[in-house]
Amino acid sequence: MTDVALQSRGGQRDTPPAAEGGARERTALRRWIADAPAAYLLLAPVLVLFAFSVVYPLIQTIWLSFFDIKGLAKPRFYGFGNFVTLFYDGNFRQAVVTTLLWTVCTTALSVGAGWGIALLSALAPRQTLIFRFMIFAAFGVSEAVTGYIWLGIYRPDASGLLNSLLYGIGLGQFAHPWLGDAHTAIWCLIIAYSWAQTGLPLLLIYAATQAISKNVLEAAYVDGASPLQIMRHIIAPLSMPGVRVALFINLLGSLRAFDTIYVLTAGGPVRSTETIGFFMFRESFTQFKLGYGAAATLVLLVAVLIVSLPAIIQRTAGAR
Amino acid sequence: MTTGIVPHAAAVTRRALMVGASAIAMMLMGAPSFAADVSGDLVLLDWASGSEQDMIKALEDGFMKANPNVHFKEINLTVQGDARGAIRAALQSGEKADIFINTWPAFRKELADAGLLRDLGPLWDSAKLGDNLSDAWKALGTTDGKLYGITYTFGDRSAMFYKTETMKKAGIDTQPTTWDEFVSNFKKLNDAKVIPIAIGAKVWSHAEWFESIYEHLNGVEKAADLAAHKIPWTDDSVKNTLKKWAELIKAGCCGDANTMLAMDWDNASDAVMKAGTHGYQMIGMWNNDRAQSTDGLKSGVDFSIQQFPAMGAGHDDVSSVDSKEFSGLTIGSNQAAADAFLTWITTAEAANIVAAHNLASPSNKVDASLYSTVVKASVDAVSKDKVQFVLGDLLPGDLVDEYRVQLQKFLQDPSDAGIDAVTQAIEAKAATAY
Repeated sequence: MTDVALQSRGGQRDTPPAAEGGARERTALRRWIADAPAAYLLLAPVLVLFAFSVVYPLIQTIWLSFFDIKGLAKPRFYGFGNFVTLFYDGNFRQAVVTTLLWTVCTTALSVGAGWGIALLSALAPRQTLIFRFMIFAAFGVSEAVTGYIWLGIYRPDASGLLNSLLYGIGLGQFAHPWLGDAHTAIWCLIIAYSWAQTGLPLLLIYAATQAISKNVLEAAYVDGASPLQIMRHIIAPLSMPGVRVALFINLLGSLRAFDTIYVLTAGGPVRSTETIGFFMFRESFTQFKLGYGAAATLVLLVAVLIVSLPAIIQRTAGAR
Repeated sequence: MTTGIVPHAAAVTRRALMVGASAIAMMLMGAPSFAADVSGDLVLLDWASGSEQDMIKALEDGFMKANPNVHFKEINLTVQGDARGAIRAALQSGEKADIFINTWPAFRKELADAGLLRDLGPLWDSAKLGDNLSDAWKALGTTDGKLYGITYTFGDRSAMFYKTETMKKAGIDTQPTTWDEFVSNFKKLNDAKVIPIAIGAKVWSHAEWFESIYEHLNGVEKAADLAAHKIPWTDDSVKNTLKKWAELIKAGCCGDANTMLAMDWDNASDAVMKAGTHGYQMIGMWNNDRAQSTDGLKSGVDFSIQQFPAMGAGHDDVSSVDSKEFSGLTIGSNQAAADAFLTWITTAEAANIVAAHNLASPSNKVDASLYSTVVKASVDAVSKDKVQFVLGDLLPGDLVDEYRVQLQKFLQDPSDAGIDAVTQAIEAKAATAY
């Protein structure tokens, strides 16, 4: 195409290859210069919005993290002091451990449950429609409302659904102040959050199973494969793209989770359910140590980036 | 005389002069009130909710009736839990208000240090607010020698709520007045399958017990010193307080620690007022309104209060209190109307609105017959005692969080070793918090 263009402008075919390459580059550059303003003009609204809603707050957060701010007192430049303090803060270190446990468990549970239900649903799509709808509906409930629902379930007194159920079936000896015991509180939170987050993996993985070619499934039936074998050797492996996306989304959601924890335990008892997100909230908004909270935010941001980048690179590797 | 109304002499306006003249006239009449010639918008930074919000609205209406040229505008903050974060955010984002509601002395200092609060001392003198409020309330609203808050309601925080039916079931006919009587009643309550005390330790309300025990063992002066960190948290006074509290726990006061840590103050209130599974709850006077409006109980009939029992350590004339005050902000644009409101809030008219909403008014002009039985009992108790503001609201934000968490740890392990660990942890935080 370039050659044709050159010829049409009177270019000579015996032009040396280097000179030809240079001309080609110049043409590409000219085209880029011609196209770029239009492209940036079209991108401008999004770039402006992105700058205001993401870049500016991010720069502001980084800036704040270098200051010692206590309440409404005048900020004091603190260098990397907040990060050093974070490193030595036992509460923050505990929050990191809790965040790891929380993130791994809630992601594994919600994606695992979503995957299992999606595989079962793939075998009988019509019969499981209402079931899938109900599970996905839980995903539509806000995290705070989820918290209040489960607060009613875990209440320590007789009006708590779980304890009253245990008493009702003669297992009253197992009734427990679930959210008051540091050993059970985190697991209660993980169950509550995973319950609410199962809907999205279910939807994504079920969609992946529906993309499996009917020919493949029919061939398996013809070859005499049992439903279990079909699930194990065909549906499960071919649903993996959906599982990967679900893992990525739920992992990010779990890292940033706050509302359910706030409503159910407020980070307690004795900070045993305090994640980095909750720590950040407490430092920034309860104690109004904005610089310290910003430093914790950046640590969380780095964690989110570490999780996100491989997935983003993988998803965009083929794009030009 | 007008310095409280017009803060900068150079900026004297005609309206301010009129207000000043009016105030002089009122002073001559001996009534600490402003005439109806203040005008314009009066902006309130308001974070009250529920029935308290209704009372604020009633106060606004009452003031506007007396000052028809003033129109109240509200900057409403919808908050759950500690409102200070939302207030700070509102002020930092440039919201302009003339007055705001405060309940934390430590926050008052933070705002005053940031230059956001107006010194109301001149107003106190010029409007003769002392005719309606005693000096004790002036002292309570004072920080670093300057008056920044005019108290409009207060609550007895050494009151223990109980349901009369529960006590009747346990065979307790009279209120225990001494510590020993109180503890000896635990057996009667336990025999009636009632846990003597409901402690909601999920967030903060467990600290009420520490504070009342501390004040009764050590007095209000020492409590004030502890709040100001003039004495360390590893002091024997703190350890002895925790040991006394541990005695209660060992006497079977409160059920297991995990249940306490699972309950917030409202769950504890339900356990006492609704389910009757627990005997007493020490909590603020907002519980009085809750018991009536939410649980449908009749004050003084279905439920009542009793003061914290005497411990015989020479400090039984103390009560822990909280209060709410209106403060004037320097960023407001209608200080004349703000001063008129801050004056009006101490009058009989305003005090009676507060009383009609089931809350105690500090004004000596209040019609006490408007009080419910429980509020009257609390007012009577507090008025004869030395008062100490609730400790948690006096501590710096950084410290109060650690203080409450460490008291949760104490509930998990009330041993002497646990007490040592808890006091050391609070002291370590206190060392960096002031």
